[in-house]
Amino acid sequence: MEEDKNNTEIKIEIVEDGPLNITGPIIFKDLKRDVTVNMDDVSLCLCGRSKNKPYCDDSHLSRTEETE
Amino acid sequence: MEGREKGFSGGRKYTNGEITVYWKPGACIHASYCYRELIEVFDPGRRPWVDMSGSTTERIIEVVNMCPTEALSWKWNDDEKNKNISIDQTNHIIYRRPELLEEKEDEDGVRPISVKVMPDGPIVLKGDFTFSYNGTSKKIKEGIISLCRCGASNHMPFCDGIHRKVGYEDK
Repeated sequence: MEEDKNNTEIKIEIVEDGPLNITGPIIFKDLKRDVTVNMDDVSLCLCGRSKNKPYCDDSHLSRTEETE
Repeated sequence: MEGREKGFSGGRKYTNGEITVYWKPGACIHASYCYRELIEVFDPGRRPWVDMSGSTTERIIEVVNMCPTEALSWKWNDDEKNKNISIDQTNHIIYRRPELLEEKEDEDGVRPISVKVMPDGPIVLKGDFTFSYNGTSKKIKEGIISLCRCGASNHMPFCDGIHRKVGYEDK
């Protein structure tokens, strides 16, 4: 039984100790900064360290090094 | 008739003649935008709790678009107007309950998912997608998930509302 034309090809992945990666298409909305945009891929900060929130800027890498 | 509708089980709909607002109680996460912004229309203490005569069509659309889940969605009663909805109309049923419109498929059959970053709160994802974390992968249809951004959730990776208590600020 084929699941026809559903959207499960859109992928949402939480990288261990890293960001949330989304492979779209997506309608992205940042309510605090009043941004609404159509996009295909985005990487969002989950560690709280990014200086470019809500996007990931790889700051989680420095945390991993420090704690180890 | 207002009230129940086929294909929208467990939901309600309300109209002012110009637009119809759909209410899906099971999807509500009590973000409270609706009644904080427009108690004249959305009053949880009143029955029925939605009074479409309480404000203008424009303002009702604006507030329904604030709902972070698909608990509230809307459409124009004039189907012609539903055909060219811009992407900032985030709670239009094109994005929420497409089966309620007589829909033409997207050219490639893929419907975008909705990704909302809540102010000082979680990331709310809606639609059909494959969700992977901790080595597991799950296909989700018409789903809503809310992911922690503050790091303090006791139910990781999902939001449990604790960001308010810890005073998380999204700078």
